[in-house]
Amino acid sequence: MALERIADRVVETDVLVMGGGVGGCPAAAKAAERGLNVTLIEKAKTDRSGHSGVGMDHVMDFPREGVTVLDYVKYWQGRHHLLCGEGRVVNANIGYRLGASAWWALEEMEKLGLQMKWDDGEYHWVRHGWFGAKIMLGVHWLDVKPTLAAVVRKRGVNVLERTMVVDLLTNKGKVVGATAVNTRTGEFIVIKAKAVIIATGGFARCYEPETPQFYKYKMRYHGAPGAISGDGYAAGYRAGAELVNMDIGTCWNYRMRDDITLDFGVIDHGDGIRGKWLTWKGEEIPFPTVKIYEEVERRGLDPIYCSVEHFPEDYQKRAEITIADERLISLKIGEDRGFDPRTHRYELMINKPINFAAIPGLYADETFKASLKGLYVIGDACSGLGGCGSAIMSGLLTADNMPNFVSEAGEPVVDEAQVESQKQTALAPLSVKDGTEPMELECAIRYICERYVGIFISEGKLREGLRRLGSLRRVFLPKLMAKNPHYLMRCLEVRNIMDLAELHIQACLERKESRGNYIRVDYPERDPSRDSMLTFQRMEDVKAVLEIKEVPDLKPEYAKEGK
Amino acid sequence: MPAKIDYRRCIGCKKCYDLCPMDIFTWDEEIDMPKVAYEEECWFCGICWMECPKRAIDITYPASLW
Repeated sequence: MALERIADRVVETDVLVMGGGVGGCPAAAKAAERGLNVTLIEKAKTDRSGHSGVGMDHVMDFPREGVTVLDYVKYWQGRHHLLCGEGRVVNANIGYRLGASAWWALEEMEKLGLQMKWDDGEYHWVRHGWFGAKIMLGVHWLDVKPTLAAVVRKRGVNVLERTMVVDLLTNKGKVVGATAVNTRTGEFIVIKAKAVIIATGGFARCYEPETPQFYKYKMRYHGAPGAISGDGYAAGYRAGAELVNMDIGTCWNYRMRDDITLDFGVIDHGDGIRGKWLTWKGEEIPFPTVKIYEEVERRGLDPIYCSVEHFPEDYQKRAEITIADERLISLKIGEDRGFDPRTHRYELMINKPINFAAIPGLYADETFKASLKGLYVIGDACSGLGGCGSAIMSGLLTADNMPNFVSEAGEPVVDEAQVESQKQTALAPLSVKDGTEPMELECAIRYICERYVGIFISEGKLREGLRRLGSLRRVFLPKLMAKNPHYLMRCLEVRNIMDLAELHIQACLERKESRGNYIRVDYPERDPSRDSMLTFQRMEDVKAVLEIKEVPDLKPEYAKEGK
Repeated sequence: MPAKIDYRRCIGCKKCYDLCPMDIFTWDEEIDMPKVAYEEECWFCGICWMECPKRAIDITYPASLW
């Protein structure tokens, strides 16, 4: 067959899971348990990859203590209100599905071998700031990834590590697999699949890391792993799936100047005690949204700080434990610098949309089906999902439903010309000499987003940014060079970053209003006609299509059941 | 600098080379030891540091992050 002549290897599978993080692993394991042939592609090594590769200290999304599933739906919308203003910004039905399935998922997590209980053998429920109820589980999950990776292997999943997806394969509007390259050997692989689950997390590399760094150390990110270059977003988009909310991004309110992780359980969701936000003079200020930060800066009262000095000793200890569970090295870094939260304050900086996750992402319905047949999307890659609990739950739910889909899907028919063209695109940088290094181009893209987009947005700057991005694409993208397969991975990442940066700017141009932390300087008011009206972007016949459409409200049957 | 290997302690177990999420290590066949080949791509996650069975890896932050 000609496919074998084009590719170094052809893999046939029922389900292809793209990304072996904390969502992808349970999805792969569950699909295998349901009797399917599963292939998992992971850019790094499954045992320590993805957002939870360094560990995790909490899993949430459990409706209890008087919190109903409908409260849960409101939370998903409400938390987004905090960031983005009035109206719905995500598909409410996704929040419903998670809340309604949480207890099933908890049992499933235990079956995967995940330690859900605390040292005393009991569930360790942690209070959540928004609910005031204990709906989060505190967990010792330093080794969550090695545990999940072992289950995936034990259940017979075909794991392709150090392998990066180039693009999805489609046929007559249906996803039929993907092409990929091994980032150490350069092997070009074709995977034929009846269904593809995208589980690649969010996107975080079109802005500079949180502190300025010149020339070196460009991969430093705080809220996201450095590896998250939006590979799933970009591959899905290019295949024709809809991306949503690339404008409002994830405008988290602040970021930390000092990279010493504050645990989730302390800073604003403390178990009864909250951190304090202070100006440099020690004057207490409200929760620092972008607007409050702007005001503080105008009055010359910045930098601002978060302080947990007032926490009693047992809380300080508790915080240390959660840091050890979620990012052990933070303790070492703190020690190297002589930083102790008992006596020091965390400097906070105003945020830019540094990490696209939770609100932006591939659009899916509550069965996590993307807008393209045969394509599913879970975890941070899916708009409306954010964090490790929702990644695991959406992965399990999707995989549980996979046998039904796969039995109806039919044999995947792969278009050889498409494979050939993807191969050429993927491997081209290997034969370029005296070209552009991928990091040079990536830094140029980041500079454009920093200078022309960022926090305070206006039309002229967006247009100039788009123009410059277009010229980078024309001049530098074809010149990308890779000395070896490792750099080939970086080149493929830059291609994704370029596509997504462009979508980000185009989406911002179309949102002519200000909303929450999304600030258009030239349109300072909220436009009520944009309430619940989201920016959808997709590619159709190599052309970018942007549509503003209403995001669905909760289905009446769910609204009835959820009480 | 990020991930620095102390070759007096390293036993060549390949954990850092296998696990690094950013793939910053290569394997030096001549000495049968890992090499930090792409140090500028380190994101200071500390996985090599915490997984190294011989404490042969140290990580310090670059000046701009202090």
